[in-house]
Amino acid sequence: MYNLIAKIGEGALNLCHETGGLLHLLFMVIKSLFPPRFDPGEFLRNLYKMGVKSVPIIILTAFFTGGIMVIQASVFVKRFGATSLVGWGAGYAVFREVGPILLGLMFSGRVGSNNTAELGTMVVTEQIDGLKALGIDPMQYLIVPRVLSMIIMLFLLTIIGDVIAIVGAALFGILIADVSFAAFWTSFSQNVHVADVVHGLIKAGVFGFIVSLTSCYAGMTVRGGAVGVGRAVNNAVVTAALGIVISDYFLTYSLS
Amino acid sequence: MTGKLYEMTANLGGFVTGIFAAALSLFSIAMRTFRGVFRFRGRAQGEVLKQMYLIGNRSLIFVTVTLGALGMVLVFQVCLQINKITGDQSQVGPEFIKGMIHAFVPILTAMMLATRVGAGIAAETGSMVVTEQIDALRMTGVDPVDFILVPRFIASVVMTFVLGVYAMVIVIVAGAFMAHSSFGVNYNVFFVFDKVTGGDLFIGSLKLIVHGGAIPIVAGYCGLTTGRGSEGVGNATTRAVINSSLAVIIIDFIISGVGLLTVQKI
Amino acid sequence: MITLKNVSCKMSGKQILDGITATFNKGEIWGIIGPPGCGKSMLMKLICGLYPVTDGDLYIESENIAGMSEVRLVPVRRKIGMLFQNNALFDFMNVWENVAFPLSRMNSGLSPEEIRLKAFERLKAVGLGGSEEKMPSELSGGMRKRVGVARAIITEPPVIIYDEPTAGLDPVTTSKIYDLLNEIQSRSQSVVLTISSDIIGLRSFVKNILFINEGKILYCGPEQEIDHCTDPVVYQFLRGLDEGPL
Repeated sequence: MYNLIAKIGEGALNLCHETGGLLHLLFMVIKSLFPPRFDPGEFLRNLYKMGVKSVPIIILTAFFTGGIMVIQASVFVKRFGATSLVGWGAGYAVFREVGPILLGLMFSGRVGSNNTAELGTMVVTEQIDGLKALGIDPMQYLIVPRVLSMIIMLFLLTIIGDVIAIVGAALFGILIADVSFAAFWTSFSQNVHVADVVHGLIKAGVFGFIVSLTSCYAGMTVRGGAVGVGRAVNNAVVTAALGIVISDYFLTYSLS
Repeated sequence: MTGKLYEMTANLGGFVTGIFAAALSLFSIAMRTFRGVFRFRGRAQGEVLKQMYLIGNRSLIFVTVTLGALGMVLVFQVCLQINKITGDQSQVGPEFIKGMIHAFVPILTAMMLATRVGAGIAAETGSMVVTEQIDALRMTGVDPVDFILVPRFIASVVMTFVLGVYAMVIVIVAGAFMAHSSFGVNYNVFFVFDKVTGGDLFIGSLKLIVHGGAIPIVAGYCGLTTGRGSEGVGNATTRAVINSSLAVIIIDFIISGVGLLTVQKI
Repeated sequence: MITLKNVSCKMSGKQILDGITATFNKGEIWGIIGPPGCGKSMLMKLICGLYPVTDGDLYIESENIAGMSEVRLVPVRRKIGMLFQNNALFDFMNVWENVAFPLSRMNSGLSPEEIRLKAFERLKAVGLGGSEEKMPSELSGGMRKRVGVARAIITEPPVIIYDEPTAGLDPVTTSKIYDLLNEIQSRSQSVVLTISSDIIGLRSFVKNILFINEGKILYCGPEQEIDHCTDPVVYQFLRGLDEGPL
């Protein structure tokens, strides 16, 4: 009994500790943004590394996501003979929910965890202390450029992903679900609105913010050498996934 | 010009051979795992149970929260659209339940477990590589795939299935709750299971089992090929998350496509 | 016992070992030294069959392990006891399970209880009586080393490899570890190969020295005579001079 209470208390304290740490990091990031003080070279380098290098994985994910969506839609649609709904269904689901979430999760896996590994390695090899000793603020040099580039890049990558997913959906609609391109397009263009796209893109921006904060925090608090880095990456992706799904719930509510 | 072309060809060649080598190595690990499963004579039963406990314990709350939230969101979005068109909410429940079972729950649960379990396996095996524990195992004549991966493989297949079934319950209950509270859909209208066919159940289960097997194999491959140095384990974990998620998406796509053309054909 | 004939090893296009020819006989104690990254650790891993030999022949007791498959390597590896650089203790097992593990994996004909007693006895011999049930993470660096030594010798292998047995240990613990290794050697007639950066401690322990630089052998012979070696790299390395090719 005593053990159980101690465990619950320990868990609660841990949660408070982590939340406080995240909020502290958020505060520091905001403080460095007004007025903006961060390393522009590092910012551009991260934009390239996190954005351009993620394009293949985003394309691959989006293409198959579109395919999966159209297949699922057609299971439903075939029974009702309502092929005119496929383009609408796929577009709506991809833009509003499935696109941002799956791309957000993949982005967290590709960029977020890479970021944690990189920062964590810098911590365990004492490079962060080295920067501080040189009078360089790790916040301005490392954290803020990464946070900004992740938010911007997930937003932009989601635009690319949305397009690719619709292409994938149209293609597999023709190949597997017997939906002609014209039918797909009519249904898509008449029923899917700009609001749906905006809905998804706002989500993407928030997801980018969550991934950036959790991954930087996990990276900067690594302890215990190479083994600790692995553990931190694991924690970072899990926290990011939780954050993405929970914020998705609240965003869906408040955006409608 | 020719120099540059030569270099490009060489790079491309290196890239292609790299992919082939990786595919071969992944294939070999998968084969050794399958062989290990068939040779498995319960000598490491305790280890399998321990891994099952770890996977379940680590993922239960995670799956509950993520899948519960997603279930509510999906119902919300669907009802919102239906309200705009017909306003007839009576079909939401049955169709939602059907869609969850054969499509959404398998892929979403597997994506969640790829980050939770896959990253965990890669971090663990990667740490064993950099601390030379894998070499020490090989020195005693133990195949690391047999010793490390096979129990995790069996545990992951079983637990992904169990967690998937559990996630279906969570998603459907959360969805019903959302439909009831926000759109006034009655619970007895929502909980209608007669749209669910045997084909749906088969496809859903098949996806869960294959995903559950793919995650530890891909993650184990990433962990066992960890590079030296302090960035090695972090990189291996990163690769595990991305590769196992991608594997889940592609496998899901293939099974969905084949399923649509065969057992779910109307 | 161990014979290397023109052994080479390449990894991702880089030549790590180049034409190593040497023979290590029964009962001999060898020290393997050289600058960091010279390939000495790799040489040990080749002998264990953990990495494949690219070129040449490597005989362990008349068996050529070059190009041998993983399955056929198993019995060869069981003839070798290895202490890893970072000990490589299994962090999911406690101390005695770690020590007992190699023995429980071979067909020694011993019952689990006999294996456990033997592990306990070996732990006592390395001065760790009473720590049998602890986890490796609870031990100090010197104690972990001793567990590693106990695990390496539990099967009484004909070949023992110590990779940096004293790295990161204080001078007192270092001399205790060498005493322990000497004691073990006095009871067995194994081939012992020791890698160390601590040249002075190592030279008090070994009888022969193999000096490797950039994947090539620069000196191979008795410990006393290496002082007369005229190779500029060996000369500089042994005396720790600033001037020289290194």
